[in-house]
Amino acid sequence: MLFNSFSFGLFLPITLLLYWAVGFKRIKAQNTILLVASYFFYGLWDWRFLFLIVASSLVDYFAAIAIKSSESVSKQKRYLYSSIIWNLGVLFLFKYYNFFIDEFALLFSMQQGEYGFSTLNLILPIGLSFYTFQTMSYTIDVYKNRIAPTKNLLNFLCFVSFFPQLVAGPIEKASDLLPQFKNKRSFDSIEVKEGLRQILWGLFKKMVIADNAAYMVNMVYASPENYGSLSLLYVSVLFFFQIYGDFSGYSDIAIGSAKLFGFKLSKNFNIPYLAKSVTEFWQRWHITLTRWFSDYVYFPIIQKNLRSSTRRNLAIFFTMMLIGLWHGANWTFIIFGVFHGFLIILERTPLSTDRKSTIFHSALLPNFIVPIFSFVFITVSCILFRSPNIDAAWLILKRIFSIIPSEKIALLIDKKFVVFLLLMITVEVLTRFKSFPLTKLDQYFNRPTRWLIYYILIIVIFLYAGFKEDFIYFQF
Amino acid sequence: MPDLKKILSISNFNKSQKRLLTYCLLFFIPLVVFYCLLELLALNLPVNYRIVGDYLNSKSQKIEVMALGSSQVRCSFNPELSNKPAINLASSSQHHKEDFSILKGTIDRLPNLKYVLFEVSYMHLELPYHPREYWKNNIYLKYYAVNAFERTTYFTDKLVFVSNPRFYSAKLRDHYLYKSNKVRLNKFGFDTNNYYSSFNKLGYDTSKIKNNAFKIYTGENLEIFKNNSGYLFNMLDYMQSKNLKVIIATLPLYKTYLNKRNPKVVHRRDSILSIVKSKYNNVVILNKETDTIQFKVKDFLNENHLNPDGARKFTSIVSKVVDSIN
Repeated sequence: MLFNSFSFGLFLPITLLLYWAVGFKRIKAQNTILLVASYFFYGLWDWRFLFLIVASSLVDYFAAIAIKSSESVSKQKRYLYSSIIWNLGVLFLFKYYNFFIDEFALLFSMQQGEYGFSTLNLILPIGLSFYTFQTMSYTIDVYKNRIAPTKNLLNFLCFVSFFPQLVAGPIEKASDLLPQFKNKRSFDSIEVKEGLRQILWGLFKKMVIADNAAYMVNMVYASPENYGSLSLLYVSVLFFFQIYGDFSGYSDIAIGSAKLFGFKLSKNFNIPYLAKSVTEFWQRWHITLTRWFSDYVYFPIIQKNLRSSTRRNLAIFFTMMLIGLWHGANWTFIIFGVFHGFLIILERTPLSTDRKSTIFHSALLPNFIVPIFSFVFITVSCILFRSPNIDAAWLILKRIFSIIPSEKIALLIDKKFVVFLLLMITVEVLTRFKSFPLTKLDQYFNRPTRWLIYYILIIVIFLYAGFKEDFIYFQF
Repeated sequence: MPDLKKILSISNFNKSQKRLLTYCLLFFIPLVVFYCLLELLALNLPVNYRIVGDYLNSKSQKIEVMALGSSQVRCSFNPELSNKPAINLASSSQHHKEDFSILKGTIDRLPNLKYVLFEVSYMHLELPYHPREYWKNNIYLKYYAVNAFERTTYFTDKLVFVSNPRFYSAKLRDHYLYKSNKVRLNKFGFDTNNYYSSFNKLGYDTSKIKNNAFKIYTGENLEIFKNNSGYLFNMLDYMQSKNLKVIIATLPLYKTYLNKRNPKVVHRRDSILSIVKSKYNNVVILNKETDTIQFKVKDFLNENHLNPDGARKFTSIVSKVVDSIN
């Protein structure tokens, strides 16, 4: 079920009405409604994979209890490793197995089947990378004594499958989300209104910005050899805004929907196109993923020797490569991660002895150029992200830097879309210190004006939405 | 057993919840009314789908020739000029998947159907099919009573405005606000005034047309090619089983377009057509793609579509072919 579908428009209010109709004191009944709704939401896509979610949830639920109840460290480790092996094993099987088999065969110039393994005909369950990371972090946190394991199975199943963030995040830490299922939820009409506004803003970003950009991007990336440098550069920038609109729009809808049920989810985006460096970009883009990799990969690597810059650089490189690989089993994603890792290392390397001057923060570059400078690198990496393979990415990059005339660029510029894109950027920049642009409108406008704003946005979404595209991050 | 009526009760809502619920209802009522109005206006538009749908319903017993395909066929075949009762069910971006759905969904209503014209134009075999929720599926369901969704349909699947609000809002604006009369549809849903595109704007000046930018796909996709070719053979098997005579057409293209085609794509398409020709005795290949002798610059709407003058010539050619295989 897509957030921008008619069925979700029915599903959400029905679930919400049932959820609040049971009253505030019946937490168990509310959680049961949420669990049934979440499984229904996921099962509509493919009910068979509900077994996988339930299995993953049960493995981590019992692993965490076993870790806590074990006296010896070796036993605790054994339970932790079992949980990690299960989670990574499932991820590897569904997401990476075919890729590694293909690459192995290519490396040794073998035909499939010659070495006893062949690729499997498996569908990638949507949201697999999101919920496995969420459950994995739970057992790690229990092992590290950061949180106590929950004994309430219903709460834990809800934590894993909570439908607003089940298929594309935000990836929540158990310490943030799990207690919310335990505690009584109060109905706060201000928060509910905030949630509805955030859903509206998310729908605008997804349906007007991302889906319209997708049309042009898909067309050009289908035959890049027909387009000149400027056209390719233009659609590559558009692609950045497509994934931004798509994913941050999804996150807004997820966070907004959770608010309707009295839950708080983590912020996932913070106007990434204003980043002054690649490091800052990752603090603004898919924040919960960056936090996950920092907590569970980067810091554990460097904690043994905090002062070693070589160790730190290697940790950055490795973490970024894994972030790239997390996005998908393709060399383009691996190189995307490696490229970002390389840029982060580069911008942390001092150019002179004063340690303040780096490639992005040198006296040579005026302040206003710095975000543009990093945006250029991010756009280049987006080409890798979008291209189906390395050859296609290389072709696009070659054509961009060969300065080939762009006769067809006028065909690609949809004036209305450009106006909406600029409108989104302007509104977001002007409200950059707020959690999202439409927040707390009550403080500035009376009801008729507010309703007018909502009506205008709804009509814009309705009339200028692009053709419905799947959310890009579902495939991860 | 807990009392569900007691648990799930509106009395469990507090004051602020009830107030918010009321405001939500008040907020959404004007939107629903506004949408109903748009839907009504959209249903009354003289769009070609509606006219073609009406024609399909009223003349279903007589129709002998069915044209399917994309906008190239839509612009090239005028049923009014056909010497046998014909219907043009082609529409822009319509792919073989939709063609096949329309054919299967209408064949039982057309007892006299004998000939099917459809296209395998350049890139047809290397362009992916539309997703399951393609917006025109609503149109096919509403006007042709054809379920191209390949699933159970719901009441929302018959709504036309919501299927493509941008398309319909432009049509509503042109029809009701600007009272535009550029589109002149005959009773077969064919636009007899379809001259106003890039070639007309350039005054049919070949030197200007030479430098005109246009969209063309040249990317290759072997996976899609394999899939689409297989699908094409399935379609042809079905038509053979129904004793239909089939005319597979490649539509005229202007020379600037012809020069920019990817030769590998053309070669693959042609090789499939030669297999079709040798395998199916009910199929005639009408290759007009490179016919620059009969089709002159003034017959074109743009680089890859004919205007009504070109359509007159093409329809006449199709009629002759139909007569020859009779």
